[in-house]
Amino acid sequence: MNIPIDWSLVAPAVIVMVGALVALLVDAFYPRRTWLGSGLPSTGALVVAGVLAHVHRDDIGRLSFALVAIILVGSLFVVVASNIMNFETAMPPGEFHFLLMSAAAGAVLMVVARDLVTLVISLELLSLPSIALVGLRQGDKVAIRSAWTFFLASVVSTAITLMGISLLYGVTGSLDYVEIREALASPEVPQSVVAVAVVLTLVGLLFKLGAVPFHVWIPDTYVGTSVMVAGFLSAVSKAAALGALLILVNVAFPYAYGTWQPLLAVVAAVTMTIGNIGALRQSDAIGLLAWSSIAQAGFLIAPSVALLTTEGLTAPVQYLAVYALANLVAFAALSVVLRLRGSTRIDELKGMVRTDPWMGIPLVFAALTLAGFPPAVIGLVTKYVVIRPVVDSDHVWLAVVMGVNVMLGLAYYLRLVVTLCDQPDGEPYVSPSPPVSVRIAKTTVLLGTAGLIALSAWPDLLLRHLP
Amino acid sequence: MIVTALAVPFVIGLLLMVGRARVSGPVAAAIGAAAMTVSLLLYALVWEGRDVVSGEVDTSWIEPLGARLHLGVTAVSWPFLLMTAFIGVLCCLWLVARDTAPALVGLVLVISASSLGVFSSLDLLLFFVFFELALIPMWFVIAWFGTGDGTRRAATRFLLFTVAGSALVLVGIVVIGLDGGLQVDETVTGSLAAAVLVCLGFAVKTPIVPLHTWLPDAHSTAPTVGSVLLAAVFLKLGTYGLILFAPLMDRFADVAPYLAIAGVVGIVWSGFACYGQDDLKRLVAYSSIGHMGFVVLAISTRSDVGLAAAVFGSVAHGLITGLLFFTAGSLKDRFGTASMAAIGRGLYGRTPWLAVTFVLAAVASLGLPGLAGFWGELLSLRAAYEIGDVLTKPVAWTALALALVGVALTTAYFVRAIRLVAQGEPVEQDADRDLDRREAVVLGALVVAVLVLGLWPAPILDLFEPFTVVAGVAR
Repeated sequence: MNIPIDWSLVAPAVIVMVGALVALLVDAFYPRRTWLGSGLPSTGALVVAGVLAHVHRDDIGRLSFALVAIILVGSLFVVVASNIMNFETAMPPGEFHFLLMSAAAGAVLMVVARDLVTLVISLELLSLPSIALVGLRQGDKVAIRSAWTFFLASVVSTAITLMGISLLYGVTGSLDYVEIREALASPEVPQSVVAVAVVLTLVGLLFKLGAVPFHVWIPDTYVGTSVMVAGFLSAVSKAAALGALLILVNVAFPYAYGTWQPLLAVVAAVTMTIGNIGALRQSDAIGLLAWSSIAQAGFLIAPSVALLTTEGLTAPVQYLAVYALANLVAFAALSVVLRLRGSTRIDELKGMVRTDPWMGIPLVFAALTLAGFPPAVIGLVTKYVVIRPVVDSDHVWLAVVMGVNVMLGLAYYLRLVVTLCDQPDGEPYVSPSPPVSVRIAKTTVLLGTAGLIALSAWPDLLLRHLP
Repeated sequence: MIVTALAVPFVIGLLLMVGRARVSGPVAAAIGAAAMTVSLLLYALVWEGRDVVSGEVDTSWIEPLGARLHLGVTAVSWPFLLMTAFIGVLCCLWLVARDTAPALVGLVLVISASSLGVFSSLDLLLFFVFFELALIPMWFVIAWFGTGDGTRRAATRFLLFTVAGSALVLVGIVVIGLDGGLQVDETVTGSLAAAVLVCLGFAVKTPIVPLHTWLPDAHSTAPTVGSVLLAAVFLKLGTYGLILFAPLMDRFADVAPYLAIAGVVGIVWSGFACYGQDDLKRLVAYSSIGHMGFVVLAISTRSDVGLAAAVFGSVAHGLITGLLFFTAGSLKDRFGTASMAAIGRGLYGRTPWLAVTFVLAAVASLGLPGLAGFWGELLSLRAAYEIGDVLTKPVAWTALALALVGVALTTAYFVRAIRLVAQGEPVEQDADRDLDRREAVVLGALVVAVLVLGLWPAPILDLFEPFTVVAGVAR
């Protein structure tokens, strides 16, 4: 089996990986271990990878390029905002950046993969460093427990995917997406085996997306790990999984339509409902975002019932871009809150819009974007965008479920928003003059919010150019 | 011009919220009233005639979705717009009091401006954006500035019900958008799903029984201006939505009978519910369900008379219920409660002007000829009698009969309320105080409006006479 390597496709991932190694080496040989020492090469590598991807965007393809762009921008956001952990001695900067960049490389590779071997390898390249990242903070038992949960769930789902892939290989005799499609087109392939193989193959990706019933690890992991790592998992890791799912199904499985369409429709409906119900009970902002990100995964999967149309393919990506940005803004703002106040309980956030408007307003705007509520017009528009293909493919029931879930979602986002806007208890909080690292994190939050506001003012900006 | 009329209250409202610490309440309210007056004047001046779309603005917005920034004033929306801006001015004037929070004025302005945006939109997605924009500010108005227990619960229930409804409308808009595009003046859909979703969604907002359970709590706990805006403007978003969408949907005919019956059930049901009320604000709130029932009945005929009835009924209800809630608010300010038992009898003798205003509002609400409430109800009944395009004779005439029962019930409960509060032997209380200047201005303006529309309904009816304009958009 000879798989050719297309360097124009792989180059961005390679650059990111090189960045990871440089970050590690700087940390190893530069005597004073500083955050900036490994942060700068990482930032540089991500920017160079972005430029390279842009240069080769015609080879990569519009859809994959959009996904690569989302992943790289998301990783960049995480790297810069992670400066907030600068003075945490328990967090080793070299290892942190190495693992983060490795996972980012895996994510990039996942969405440009066009054969199942590359897919599995990149899936592992994303998963394993992520697991280590979750448990990286030294002496943190909760984090290690979270990492274990994540690890076990991850291994099981990858094993299931591998089983699916081996079945597919047995049926079609190929691992290449295009060849699989052609093989599945023939009426001679045993349909029942194909159905099983397709379902099993998708399991690994649905797990990464956090779709029900593979969602249990998400709240546990997000709450246990450092805030920005949770942000990375919720934005970049999800982007990679969704992108890989879209491309795999669209390119390799169009003829197994009857299998994955009902599967994805049901998974989407159940995921968004369970995610929202889970979020209703949370008293911690991180837990709330964790469950809400499960619900959002449902909205990401829903339009893929119409995956074989152009719109079914682009709608999830547009939704993803907005979701990822809003989620990263929220996580980064919460990491600042955690640093300055020591807790992210929703009660603790009371009155933040009044006492600390520069962090409170971004949080409000991000929550409204995720809820899909004006003035965050872009959130509403992307909700519209994902409902469109669902209706177009005659899944009105799913569209109604989505509508009901918009309402459910608002119930808890509203709670967050009104707590933030409420009259603060007692003495107004005065933030001490923060160190530079906190200011950097704050700046990323503000930049991200500015992006969301700009998109709300001109939704065309996103919808026309992506993908 | 429309853009300015929308932007002025929006921007002033936001500025008042941001700079709430730097202005005093009365000054903020005066600024707000000025802003709404500008808006009202602009909307009055923009009118170019019923056969064209006045002051049309049409620029590209989200091209991939076919959504445009398309605003304009039509024969249908003009009365709604003027009524909303007028109510907005009065709400701000009402707030010219010492203990007003500037943030409340800001919220009122934002809510009014969003509602004006809804009535001005000729693009369905834009319509929806404005429709949702007003909701969270209204949550704050009810939850922060409301009185009594459970303001938060009432506010949240209001919001979640409304959002559940509007989510269905959103799905309906998606269906319509896929079938015929998002522009009101060109789109049309043959989808049954769209008709069901849209009607169900607006049924929550209007509200139509049995989807009304959010209404009484929200109206009775909200502050006076909140109740006025909810009843006079927010309920109209629902009826206006139905009026706007009905001609776009071919399958509206399948839903219309259910709407008609639900509407008249609401009329009768609200009659019974009101008869047992002691709290004046709750009574007015429940009575709104009945009045909206008449409007829904009119809409469900989808005839030209029905359209005129629906528009007139909505506007008249806005003014009359505004008047009722302002009166109830005055009473609540004096006595600390809107309970009729606590207020006591004989207001005629104790506070004559306030009593006369209340009685006038009540008889206007029960549809006394010569006052604004009469024409809407009469035309609704006529529309049902003439059956219209989409109903069948048994349904329409059953609805007609039930609506007539409802008229009698409405009379009964308002007469009871008048007897309990206004008439009888006066029992003086310390809090007895007749209208002050601020109240006199606001109530007087509404009384004049109610009288004018009652005696001279032509300005609105002429927009539809001889009932030929289809949904106000000349096709």
